[in-house]
Amino acid sequence: MKGFKKYYGQKVLWYLLTLVFAVVLNFVLPRLMPGDPVSAIAGKSVSGMSDATKIQKVYQDYTEKFGISKPIYVQFFTWLKNALHGDFGVSFSQFPRTVSDILSGAVWWTVCLQLPAIVLGWVLGNVLGAVAAYRKGVFDKAILPAFLFISNIPAFGMAIILLFVFGVRLGILPTSGGYGFNMMPSATWAFVKSVIVHYQLPFWSIVLITIGGQAIGMRSMAIYELNADYVKYSRFLGIKDRTIVKYVFRNAMLPQITGLALSLGTMMGGALVAEIIFSYPGLGTTLLAAVTGQDYPLLSACTLIITIMVLLANLIVELIYGVIDPRVKASQQD
Amino acid sequence: MKKGSKIIALLMVLALAGSLLAGCGNSGGNKEKVNAGKQTDEPAKKEEEEKGEKEETKDGKDADSLPRDETLYFAGQQWGTVNDYNPLSANSNNAMAISQSDMSRTIVYETLYMWNPLTAEMTPLLAQGDPEWDEGKTQITVKLNPDAKWSDGTPVTAEDVAYTFTFHTKYESPTGEDMLSYIDAIEAKDDSTVVFKAKKGEDGKALNPLLTESFLPKLYILQKAYMEKVEKRCNEDSEAVKTDRMDDLIASGPYKPYMDNEQKVVFIRDDNYWGQAGSMWGKLPVPKYLAHTIYKDNSAALTAIQKGEVDVSQTFIPDVQKLWLEQDLPISTYMDEAPYSVCLVMPTLFFNTGKPGLDQTPIRKAIAMAVDYDQIISSAMSGQSPTFEDVPRSVMNPTDADQEMVDQDALAKYQWKNADVEGAKKLLDEAGIVDSDGDGIREYKGQKLSYKAECPSGWSDWNASLEIVAAAGKEIGINIETYFPEASQYYDDYTTGNFDITMQSSSGSSVANPYQRCMFFLSSSYNDLDVNYSGNFGHFKNDRADEILKLIPNESDNAKLKGYYTELSQIMLEECPCVPLMYRPQLFHVVNESVWTGYPQMDDGTNIPPTDCTDGYGIAALYHLTLVGGQ
Repeated sequence: MKGFKKYYGQKVLWYLLTLVFAVVLNFVLPRLMPGDPVSAIAGKSVSGMSDATKIQKVYQDYTEKFGISKPIYVQFFTWLKNALHGDFGVSFSQFPRTVSDILSGAVWWTVCLQLPAIVLGWVLGNVLGAVAAYRKGVFDKAILPAFLFISNIPAFGMAIILLFVFGVRLGILPTSGGYGFNMMPSATWAFVKSVIVHYQLPFWSIVLITIGGQAIGMRSMAIYELNADYVKYSRFLGIKDRTIVKYVFRNAMLPQITGLALSLGTMMGGALVAEIIFSYPGLGTTLLAAVTGQDYPLLSACTLIITIMVLLANLIVELIYGVIDPRVKASQQD
Repeated sequence: MKKGSKIIALLMVLALAGSLLAGCGNSGGNKEKVNAGKQTDEPAKKEEEEKGEKEETKDGKDADSLPRDETLYFAGQQWGTVNDYNPLSANSNNAMAISQSDMSRTIVYETLYMWNPLTAEMTPLLAQGDPEWDEGKTQITVKLNPDAKWSDGTPVTAEDVAYTFTFHTKYESPTGEDMLSYIDAIEAKDDSTVVFKAKKGEDGKALNPLLTESFLPKLYILQKAYMEKVEKRCNEDSEAVKTDRMDDLIASGPYKPYMDNEQKVVFIRDDNYWGQAGSMWGKLPVPKYLAHTIYKDNSAALTAIQKGEVDVSQTFIPDVQKLWLEQDLPISTYMDEAPYSVCLVMPTLFFNTGKPGLDQTPIRKAIAMAVDYDQIISSAMSGQSPTFEDVPRSVMNPTDADQEMVDQDALAKYQWKNADVEGAKKLLDEAGIVDSDGDGIREYKGQKLSYKAECPSGWSDWNASLEIVAAAGKEIGINIETYFPEASQYYDDYTTGNFDITMQSSSGSSVANPYQRCMFFLSSSYNDLDVNYSGNFGHFKNDRADEILKLIPNESDNAKLKGYYTELSQIMLEECPCVPLMYRPQLFHVVNESVWTGYPQMDDGTNIPPTDCTDGYGIAALYHLTLVGGQ
């Protein structure tokens, strides 16, 4: 059991260290960008004003309010202190909305779009890969290569193709938004149906691309395992096919789980382009707006979430590996 | 094996579906959170359009959709989530409800007057009759329309107007600060008479009568009782008052806030709106709901208007005529032919007169002469602007009202031919600015003439214009490179004089225009500011121009004013501190007539400006709309 503790303890420690570095970088890097965030927001609020000195005063007010005139380490500790309380500050570009407010809306859209899409893509991809390895035939020769081809189309390309074919030309699926342009959010079947229909194109544009990559990986692993000695030996022993498959599957899955966890970790970055093309108000578009608006608090919060998710996903994978793969645990116990 | 893993896959998928499928929240508040359900089978078929059959409850939020034949859909104004409904807020991000400018949007809050750029006149809204200056030109008297009422039934009184001023100035809102420069006080003489006391100059008369008057069609009038309520709940704290959401607002306008979230903003008509009285519009506005879906960018909005999901769009659509000529869509603009819309602003090139070389008139003028403006208009604006042959360059917009105020015949000898490369070269040669080392670039005082022309990246029509300017520079031996930074960097640069050549748009049509536009082009009063958003970014100084600019606000003789504006145009054409690159609509106005029709059209006799049915006098359009195919 001691080895266990050592294994997990070390892992967690490393990740905490990485987290500290990541938080500091998260904070500092955006603020190194050239340009001044105050100009953009001040520019918006002074439109329609005629007196030049008054405009200057507005500009100065903002500079003070955003605290960007203070030295950077002061800003960092203030931000850290607030962040620990869950207060990520006020957004510059969408002043006076708070960052938490903006993110809470956006995160939900991204998670609901990405999570099922990635998982389904992963599942279908693995199934396809396993089937192609075992059954061969049309799966291996036609379907897998087709999906492999599709998976190399970049996400925005796929999104636009689907949008054009199904949304514009055939007109059977909607082209933008989270729900119908005339629908009002309500607890009705009509609204839910509208959301589901609007969900299709962004969803499938991500799934279709994910399948190919997963399939080819799974196929290789499955073929490798199927040729392993223990499989041949089990067959000679007369063990049922179904049991053998269970062993094979379990071994072939390992790298795939790593892949899945990493995808889920980076998911929070949002399929930026898919969101923009479909006007889906998720984290990706928020991140883009934060970058172009030089909105430090929003940017830091977004990247912090992504960082934490990635680190968390990695950590969980490492921990799960210890559970799934006895070989890993065993080597750590020496 | 196949079966086994397939079953596992299906089970996992169903488990996910179960965990993700949640009811859609319907809180009483304005922000809605939406959960997406998960689809396991084939994509659903075509979405049915639901007509709102459901009963509406007291706050009407149980209806699941807006009836298409009672809703007017907008695009191109709102690009993000609404922050608040507060006129004091610096960033409401609420384009439909809060837009206080020369042509204020009066859907929710109303102003005293409405500006009509076509006639260059104000029409009374909350006011009655014209505003009157006193003999000594120190104050303006405005009478209120006795029929004007707030949404809670109480009448709009002069006290409300006076308190609006107090409210803004007490809490130092941007509008308040602006007003204090030109207005000393606003007082209620009696219940229905308001007096605007202008800030006085040294001569005892109003410092700038034009700018004092400019607040009449601009300022939203707020209800005193409601303002006091907000003050109380914010404990009179300035920051709290300026960021109060005010979604329980009391206003006098025809619409009230209905719902807003990250997908759209909706307003619902107030059927008790006072404006249905005979002294105002005589009826209610036709659409019951005004909705604005939030699109991510112009292309998304364009797709939507092509599908008929948007009725009125304030977006620039290149080659907009192709939509009805080639695609046979029921889309139209204010005019059937080029330039398709009323052009009220001029994106203008500014030369930084502090930079070596650009302080020399021949160099600036040569660049101005060499640019191919026709190409800018045809490529960047896709023809949606009159050319400088149609309407020669001056400080005026191409509208009839503006052109009457300038003497084009007198200016004819200062104009140059389009893309006059030879003339530009000759000008430079005669000034002794030549290429002495044979590298194709001229030198001035030993230094190569090399400049950066900047505007924000992503503003494609401006980017295209600057590329054309750079090409012109190349033709005459001046190296101009384009530079397209992020918008915030651009704002930083042009407001602090940190540029060689940049672009900015003049203000549109208003009470204080064309005066304000001339200030924008030529006034040196901005030259000492640390941060300058107002104009003349290149810090040009011309004493005669400054002198004329001081005289204009106090001059009421149109013949004299015409003389002044002509002289200012002449200075601009001779010295070229800035060069208008094209005429451009202040607001784009593209409508889809598949559901609604009756939009303003040129020469339809109504003189309603094409301002997206909401701005200034353009809101009259809402009262003229009819459904296609009759009611």
